[in-house]
Amino acid sequence: MTAHDHIVFIVDDDERIREALGELLASHGMRTEAFGSAGDYINADKPQVPACLILDVELPDINGLELQRQIATGDHPPIIFITGHGDIPSSVQAIKHGAVDFLTKPFSDADLLAAITAAIAQDRGRRSERAGLDALKQRYLDLTPREREVLPLVVSGLLNKQAAAQLGISEVTLQIHRRNVMQKMAAASLADLVRIAEKLDIPITHSRRAGGSRA
Amino acid sequence: MRFNHSGIKVGRTRLEQPMMDVWSHRPQILHLALFFAAYVLGCGFAQALAIVPGITVSIWPPAGVFIATLILTSPYSWPWWVLAGCLAEMTGQILWFHSPPLAGFLIYVGNALCAIVGATLVNRAFGRPVRLETLREVLAFVVLGAGVAPLMSATVGSATLAWFGVKSQTFAGVWPLFWIGDATGILLVAPLALVVIQHWRNRTKFSAVRWVEAGSLGLIFLGLAALSLKHDFLLSAYIIMPPILWAAVRFEFKGVAVALTLLALVTMTLTISGGSQFVGDPETQRQKQVMLQLFLAISAFSALIVAAISRQHQQALLALRDREQELSQLVDMVPVHIRRLTPEGKPTFFNKRLLDFFGMSDIAQLDKPDMNRLAAAIQTLVHPDDAPRLLATVHTSLATGESFAMKYRMRRADGAYRWVDGRGEAVRDQHGAIMQWYAISIDVDDEMRAQEDLRDRERELSQLVDMVPSLLWRLSPNGEPNFFNKRTIDFLGLDVADYDKPGASRLKATLTAIIHPDDAAGMIQTLNRCLVSGEHFSMQYRLRRADGLYRWVSARAEPLRDESGHIVQWYGLAHDIDDQMRAEEALRGLAITAIALNACRSLDEVLRTITDRAREIIGAHMAVIGTTVDQRWAQAIQAVSLSQKYAAYRGFDAKPDGSGIYGLVCNLNRSLRLTEAELKDHPAWRGYGGHADQHPPLRGWLAAPLIDSNGQNIGLLQLSDKDQGEFTAEDEGIAVQLAQMASLAITEARLHDKLRLAQETLARASQAASLAELSASVAHEVNQPLAAIVANSHACQRWLTAEPPNLDRAQKTVERIIRDANSAADVVSRIRALFKQSAETRTSMPLDSVIAEALNLMAEETARRRIRLDVDVESDLPLVSLDRVQIQQVLVNLIRNGMEAMDAAANDRLLGIRTRRLGDVVQTEITDQGPGVAFSDRIFEPFFTTKGNGMGMGLAICRSIVEAHGGRLWADKNEPYGAMFAFTLPVEMNRST
Repeated sequence: MTAHDHIVFIVDDDERIREALGELLASHGMRTEAFGSAGDYINADKPQVPACLILDVELPDINGLELQRQIATGDHPPIIFITGHGDIPSSVQAIKHGAVDFLTKPFSDADLLAAITAAIAQDRGRRSERAGLDALKQRYLDLTPREREVLPLVVSGLLNKQAAAQLGISEVTLQIHRRNVMQKMAAASLADLVRIAEKLDIPITHSRRAGGSRA
Repeated sequence: MRFNHSGIKVGRTRLEQPMMDVWSHRPQILHLALFFAAYVLGCGFAQALAIVPGITVSIWPPAGVFIATLILTSPYSWPWWVLAGCLAEMTGQILWFHSPPLAGFLIYVGNALCAIVGATLVNRAFGRPVRLETLREVLAFVVLGAGVAPLMSATVGSATLAWFGVKSQTFAGVWPLFWIGDATGILLVAPLALVVIQHWRNRTKFSAVRWVEAGSLGLIFLGLAALSLKHDFLLSAYIIMPPILWAAVRFEFKGVAVALTLLALVTMTLTISGGSQFVGDPETQRQKQVMLQLFLAISAFSALIVAAISRQHQQALLALRDREQELSQLVDMVPVHIRRLTPEGKPTFFNKRLLDFFGMSDIAQLDKPDMNRLAAAIQTLVHPDDAPRLLATVHTSLATGESFAMKYRMRRADGAYRWVDGRGEAVRDQHGAIMQWYAISIDVDDEMRAQEDLRDRERELSQLVDMVPSLLWRLSPNGEPNFFNKRTIDFLGLDVADYDKPGASRLKATLTAIIHPDDAAGMIQTLNRCLVSGEHFSMQYRLRRADGLYRWVSARAEPLRDESGHIVQWYGLAHDIDDQMRAEEALRGLAITAIALNACRSLDEVLRTITDRAREIIGAHMAVIGTTVDQRWAQAIQAVSLSQKYAAYRGFDAKPDGSGIYGLVCNLNRSLRLTEAELKDHPAWRGYGGHADQHPPLRGWLAAPLIDSNGQNIGLLQLSDKDQGEFTAEDEGIAVQLAQMASLAITEARLHDKLRLAQETLARASQAASLAELSASVAHEVNQPLAAIVANSHACQRWLTAEPPNLDRAQKTVERIIRDANSAADVVSRIRALFKQSAETRTSMPLDSVIAEALNLMAEETARRRIRLDVDVESDLPLVSLDRVQIQQVLVNLIRNGMEAMDAAANDRLLGIRTRRLGDVVQTEITDQGPGVAFSDRIFEPFFTTKGNGMGMGLAICRSIVEAHGGRLWADKNEPYGAMFAFTLPVEMNRST
């Protein structure tokens, strides 16, 4: 782990905490960036590297749990909550909404570091996964409209002639479209294509059995 | 006729009956004797006149006596008379005639037949009693009695004489003499007999003049008779006729009878003495005899006829006089005033009643010198008020000839005026010219007075109907209104003529027009139902008054039925109950307001409620309430309630400065009620100030001051623009009551606000001491530096153990650690200082007031938790020196702890508070019935807690406070269960002793 391939964001209204955590993480060779309020954090430019967020529950503008709720819909790093006096309802709510850990001040450096390591690993995984999916989406966008029609029929398991009949085209034409789809989606096999379709949330709309449900 | 039926015995044969009647009708002996005497004298008289030799008699008076007797007596008695006559005749025969007895008897039989037939015929002809008073009677008597009857006697007599050859008479020779002799006898004697017999008792009395006349007549008659009958002096015996006729005319039958008797006597005397004209030589004797008979017969006949005519004339005159008298009596006695006027109108006759009425004896009394009689009469006798009218009416009628009729007052003799009903009509001749005017008048005074009384009564009744303070009306059976009393008409402002038009649709339209739209349909439905079923109608609804206001009325109607039960009319009554209804409504409104006010929790709400309710109850478009604080308008709070009409003004909230009419009401503390004009004219009215263009217009103004319990003004309630009409005294009363309620509510709300403020203060204090909050705060304050210290320590360690050690960074972190540790220490000392700072705020006061305050502040929570308090505070507690807020905090904390401890307790939640003096201290014990305290020493240590959400600071702080006051706080078990916390506070020695 180097100081440049990840970053730890710290949001706490108490400067002493910001200083102390920055010092501690620096002693572990981590890169940190600290904010005095939730607003400062939201408005800041954040580098696109694996990261984690150490968030105080009590904040002057909006409280930490509220911030978690607000950014939940977007792309954000995993959160580790810290609090002056933890109560059970707050911690349960925080974990439920995806927090990596909920630490009560004063906390040990080991707990904190373990949480940070886990959080950054989680963020890294999440980032690569999202990068793959983006590539798949890009490939899907490259398909022609007809190919986008062919894809769900093929992954539904229809025979070529069934799919051709469904679209009102010849079996040969369908085979050409199917080959193009396989190539463009970089699918090694039909099974691979099915997996890709699943990642792209392409629904299986047809059944091979004649007269099957069209739902 | 006397019948003695009691004498008739049973068993008698029918044949005996006539015999008994004959017997019972036997005449008196005296009468029979007189008859006998008269008959015999008659015979003698006849014999004396029988001067002609060879002739029996020339005049036969007994025939007259006989026939007159039979005419006057009952046929049943006739046998007696016949018998008596027979005896008399036979006596006469013996004395004078000397005929053979059989011949004499036969002659008598003839005479008897003559009398019987004559009497029977005369009686048949004109019934009984025969009076010989009319010409017809006389003629019948002469013809039948004197003409026909003697045929019998003449025939039988002549036959007998001829048969027996008495004095060698032949039948034919003697028959005429016989017949004339009998007839003359009857004519001469029968009237005399009838008159004498009939008038025997009731003799008429003659006046002296009559006697003189009678005497003179008698003398003239006798003289003339003597002269005329003597053949020497006058040529004819008939010269005697005028005196006879004179007697007949003047003295009628009596005169005739007397005259004829005298004539017969004179004739007889002269004839006997031979001086008569009828005496002659034997050759002419027979002729003379006939002439004598004729003379007497004609004289008698003429006299009788004239007497009858005279009699008849007299009787006609008498009858006329009777009728006239009767008529005059009628005219005088009929109970009507009658007068007659000439065609020109001059009164010529007043009947007696009228004269009596006026107290006059003669109509001429009316005449005045320079006035005609009609005008004078009217002026004198008619009421001055009626005279000109009557005179004009009469003149009109006289001019036109039309009849007239009018009622007027006439002055009675005693001066009293009486109402009469007068009528006049003209009497015209065949050509239509007016001959007379007849006018009558009838006294109708009593009627007029009765009518006047009736009219008075009617007027009185009508007045009653109009003045009774209700609306009265009458409906026809089909619901058509046909009468409204005046009040109804005034109330509704109706034109009565509108209701004369029939038609049910009109009725409905009318009702719809005068009844409030909300009530009309129901009223019409109910009324129709009643009209159909005949049930009583009773309802309350709103009627539109003439000025357009709707007033509540209570109406009732009942049908009037005839004997057969059919409805004749409906009579209805409605009285105005609007004031009552409004009063009830207002009362209800006040009650609702009172309830609504009770529910109000803030002053704003109170003011809003009052204004809205005031507007609703009184019915105004605008209600404003202004409250002042300590009578200062600068802090006035306003609440405004406006109807939709003034919706545009809802934003207007300029505050009054209290200088104008508002201030007047507030200063006087008296309500004020003004119309719009009165308001504008009021001296205290200053217009709308600077807000004239925004201020809603005040159309009438009603204001009532708000007065608190001390009598101080705290503002006013104002209303303006009443929905209907002007504000009334009742409205003012309601406004005053509302203002009173508002005052109470405002006072209470202000107290409530004060209390709330106190509670908020306490809440803040309590919050500071509230365990969770305090511990959270303390934790945060302490944990922040602690966390920084820990983190910095780890960093320091890392810098020191690094290869090579980063001493600069380590040094820096150590400095931060020291800084943060000091900061943590500061937190603790700050908390300690928090409870020490109030030493100088202590005051001396009895603890019971502090306890009372604490309990008061906890009252709501106590009730919510359903805790029963048992407070026992010793009286006359000594003063203690304390910080009121801190001790309150201690009390509140301990009380709340006790209450929370009993949250789970199912048994009686009793919290005991006991305060008493124990030597130098005042000890307060707070006991609960919760689970009790397990660690009675540790609970006072900071951060020790037995509660799920506590930080364990409350009791520690309480102990700090109590100890800061020089007291002690501890916990113990409560018996039989629960905990007891007690604290002491030292008595302030220098003051309490």
